[in-house]
Amino acid sequence: MLGKNKRSITAFSLGLLLAMAIYLVPGMTSDAIAKEAFAEQVFAEEAFAKEVLAQEAVEGEGEAEIEWSQDVFYRDWEGNPLKGPVSGYPAPELGPSDYNNYDFAPSRMLIWVANQQHLYFGSFVLAVPIFCMLIEFIGIRTREEDPIMSQKYDRLAHDLMKISLTAYSWTAILGGILLFTFITLFPGFFKYLAGIFRPVMHVYALMFLAESGILYVYYYGWDRMNQDPFLKWIHASLSVLLNLVGTILMFLANSWATFMQAPGGIDSEGRFLGNIWHVIHSTLWNPVGVHRILGNIVFGGGIVGAYAAYHYLTAKTEEDRAHYDWVCYVAMFICIFGLIPLPFAGYWLMKEVYAFRQQMGITLMGGIMAWLFIIQAVMIGLLFFAANSYLHNGMARVKGSHRYMKYCKYMVLLLIVCFTMWMTPHTIVMTPAELKVMGGAQHPVIGHFGVMSAKNTAVNLMITTTVLCFILYQRANKKITVPWATAGNCWIAAIFVGAAANIIFLGVYGYYLPANQRVGLSVPQVCTTLTTLFAGTAINISMFKDSESYGEVKWGSQSKVGTYAIFLLAISFTWLMGLMGYIRSAVRLFWHVTEVVRDNSVDAYTLTIGEAGKMLTFNTLFVWVQFVVVFWVGSLSGKKEQVKAPEGVPVPAQQ
Amino acid sequence: MLPEQHDILFTFIAIAFAVFAIYVFISSIQICREREGINIGFWGTVFGAFAIGAFLMTAHMFTLIQADQLQFFFSTYLWAIVVLLMVWGSFYKSNKIESQSPPIIRGFFFWTTVSLLLAGYTNWLPQQRSDPPPKEAALVGDVTMEEFAEMGRIIIFGAKQVAGQPSIGKGQCPLCHTFDPGDNIGRCPNLFGVENRSHDRVKEDRYATSPIAIGETDPASGIVKGKYDEIPEEYRRQNGPDEFTGEDYIRESVMCPTCYVVEKFGNDGDTKSPMPVIVKPPVSLSRVEVNAVIAYLQSKDTPGEFATVTVPLPQDDAGNTGGAVAEDSSDDEDKPVFVTGTEDIQTMINTLGCPLCHTIPGVEGAMGMLGPELHEKINAPKRIKDPNYKGKATNTKEYVRESILNPGAYVVFNEAEGELFPDGLMPTDFSQMLSVHAIDKLVDFISQTEPPAGS
Repeated sequence: MLGKNKRSITAFSLGLLLAMAIYLVPGMTSDAIAKEAFAEQVFAEEAFAKEVLAQEAVEGEGEAEIEWSQDVFYRDWEGNPLKGPVSGYPAPELGPSDYNNYDFAPSRMLIWVANQQHLYFGSFVLAVPIFCMLIEFIGIRTREEDPIMSQKYDRLAHDLMKISLTAYSWTAILGGILLFTFITLFPGFFKYLAGIFRPVMHVYALMFLAESGILYVYYYGWDRMNQDPFLKWIHASLSVLLNLVGTILMFLANSWATFMQAPGGIDSEGRFLGNIWHVIHSTLWNPVGVHRILGNIVFGGGIVGAYAAYHYLTAKTEEDRAHYDWVCYVAMFICIFGLIPLPFAGYWLMKEVYAFRQQMGITLMGGIMAWLFIIQAVMIGLLFFAANSYLHNGMARVKGSHRYMKYCKYMVLLLIVCFTMWMTPHTIVMTPAELKVMGGAQHPVIGHFGVMSAKNTAVNLMITTTVLCFILYQRANKKITVPWATAGNCWIAAIFVGAAANIIFLGVYGYYLPANQRVGLSVPQVCTTLTTLFAGTAINISMFKDSESYGEVKWGSQSKVGTYAIFLLAISFTWLMGLMGYIRSAVRLFWHVTEVVRDNSVDAYTLTIGEAGKMLTFNTLFVWVQFVVVFWVGSLSGKKEQVKAPEGVPVPAQQ
Repeated sequence: MLPEQHDILFTFIAIAFAVFAIYVFISSIQICREREGINIGFWGTVFGAFAIGAFLMTAHMFTLIQADQLQFFFSTYLWAIVVLLMVWGSFYKSNKIESQSPPIIRGFFFWTTVSLLLAGYTNWLPQQRSDPPPKEAALVGDVTMEEFAEMGRIIIFGAKQVAGQPSIGKGQCPLCHTFDPGDNIGRCPNLFGVENRSHDRVKEDRYATSPIAIGETDPASGIVKGKYDEIPEEYRRQNGPDEFTGEDYIRESVMCPTCYVVEKFGNDGDTKSPMPVIVKPPVSLSRVEVNAVIAYLQSKDTPGEFATVTVPLPQDDAGNTGGAVAEDSSDDEDKPVFVTGTEDIQTMINTLGCPLCHTIPGVEGAMGMLGPELHEKINAPKRIKDPNYKGKATNTKEYVRESILNPGAYVVFNEAEGELFPDGLMPTDFSQMLSVHAIDKLVDFISQTEPPAGS
């Protein structure tokens, strides 16, 4: 994809996609086989612990003074609640003395702002090393065949790391602010949480130290390790290590949030049952982790894209314009790479939420949080519009794209139809008079678009359309010469037409099934969409063999609309990320730890949608002000010597 | 955010606008210095005035609170910024400067506009705030069976009702259950006719064996199936027949949903119920609350008729330890209600509980449907002229005062239902809850209520 050594890199990309799919699919389709297997292991541990206790009781003077209690989540292989030795104090009944506040704003708003800002920056600094790892790897692999491109990739990775370094310190400062906010405003709850997570917090701090060390060696050793091939590989390995430690850090921090939402490893009184792994590995830990990794990639791609888009608009030379246009493309590529599997990870997360407590899932999808999901639908629609708008506009600078440009308007039309269906609510709040006029809570015609069958159909068609748009973009300047070109085109057409027909058929069929069976249709719909992604892209890339080019891409000629589409993508994703974080956290309603530690503060209510929306907008604007400052600080250290790019820089996805 | 606090978003935007105004001032001065022939004094004064004005308006925003902040922002500050942008544009235009505002400024406005549109969209949608449920329903003194069943209804559906939305109370039942004939959302069984079914169900063969047999213990809840006398002490019934009755079945169903799973509504081949144990978190109903729910379920299909209810009233319940019937409780929630009139009208009305039954324009959350909507500015004069009116009021204020202190003087006709609103539902002791000042204030407010514009 990114040099002459395309085969291995294409295989690498496909391998990554496949790995992600392999990781996601079992989670979405199996019925927690792993959980059962794990429960068996835990059962064995429990039996062993009992034996030890019994032995101690015999050896000692009397019976062991250990109380056993039932876990609120974990079950043994027979389905009975798992028992564990009580190893902590009960959760406190929090009172007024456990909460502090300032007059100017409620404590929950302050902790929300502190938390969200830290998460935004954390997300960015975790995402950038992933990009750097990939880009540096690609640079190494193309070093011999295409030294100029190789240097260009290396420079890009280095520049991104420079920004990330400033953002890293900023993240740590925001983390400190979050910690102080938590301790000072919610001391009672923090004390309980710290009591449970004491060892995890220390490991977290040590991992942070390791992350910092690796990061500094990785960044400051860049130039020194750049020339010698062996040292360069060592350097690239450091990026793998950096990502590994970063991921562990994120997963450790996730455990606090997932414990609060769906606790495990404690009894109904909130007493720790002696197994810290149970506390960490609560039911939502895996899906939240995967969802966040993908979210980080998309968010990071959005930030880098916006950064490059800004520099593209301010660039003084043609060379700079070409460079930043190209960086925009790479960032978009990464962003879409993360965006496409993101809904599936979200689906897995929701499945686990339903498995934990059905009423929590219903509160999200059909209760007080349901409107927030309508807003989410609007945001996802905006993201798809922004991505498609960028690709459509970007296609205009590729010679040969005129063959496909005529299809863009139909794709936009389809997106609009799907988007409208996607955001049609199931029911809305109405006055009795309005209800009477409409004849019920659902409209007799468009009410049919408010159900899950229609929505699944709409979103799958939107993703499929985006995949098609991307495939057309890939082949925009290619003149296909393989002997099986006609057959290949027919296959691609058949895959997309068949996929659309199947998705629509399954959607319509869903109306004739009971609700509990209808849910199951989403799996084949998703599989169909994934087929277009994997099979369509694979066939498309295979057809590029020995292809002729209609001409080079005119980097630096992206339209302003296309550039602002990247801005829109960045804003939308920042807002969406805040929204989904709020939903995930707010579904606890009036609990600090669901069903265990009740929130007895004056802020225990659930916000109106409007109040939440204003806070989300504030968080979005505030974090971008900080990003601007961070980028500006990052640019103070001076520019590296520019690497001269060839006149036409190849399109990464076109090779 | 509380009404007396600042609006974080618009305070932030105000600061951002002030920074923008200062930037415009500095930028224009720089341009004037770089180019010849531009009147630096004039433009410096103009943009300096804008910068100072923006600074002062931002400072003023800090002295205001939420609603006032929004009003000031949209009525004054926003327009000042629009004017500034236009003047700035004319500065570039009149001096023929080609490179105009830098992308950072355009990006800022693009960013801010999109974000504010999103915030506006969320404020355009229906607003519903959810307060945490009380830890335990508080009852003061003896209650009648009607009041007890009503308490059960509120536990299920909540006190506030929002049209078109399934209203949900502490019990959270309507998330999955339906209650009217023909309704079905496919999650859990429709509870219409549950009282009749409860007596037959315990005699069915399937009940005896599926998914666990009578006498076996359900591990999730710890309940022994089909044994009313082995229910945990704090929920066990103390009187009644020495057999497993319909009441016991309903109690068992909420305390041990998996003891019996209605066909097609369970998981794993109808062996596990998706329903939570209602006496455990997050719902955690007390003994009195469980009994109130049972009373409601036993009586809901026969409105006004309570002969089918078998649960005892709290004051007659030998097993009630008094937790929820504490007359002399020191808890604030149990103190007699009294408003002095120094409170704001919203607080007064909420304290008195009017929103539970009435929809009152101008009072947030007052969406009750049990009593008539309060549009007294229009309705009161009509009612006084109604031939059925037997009260003594001669004007709107007198009518409202009478309706508060003596609700039975005139019972309003419910046009939607084609019958009178239920008489006797509204408390008659408001005279003991209101000071003289408070009743005057309340009457003044209610007398001015009218339908929202456009309705």
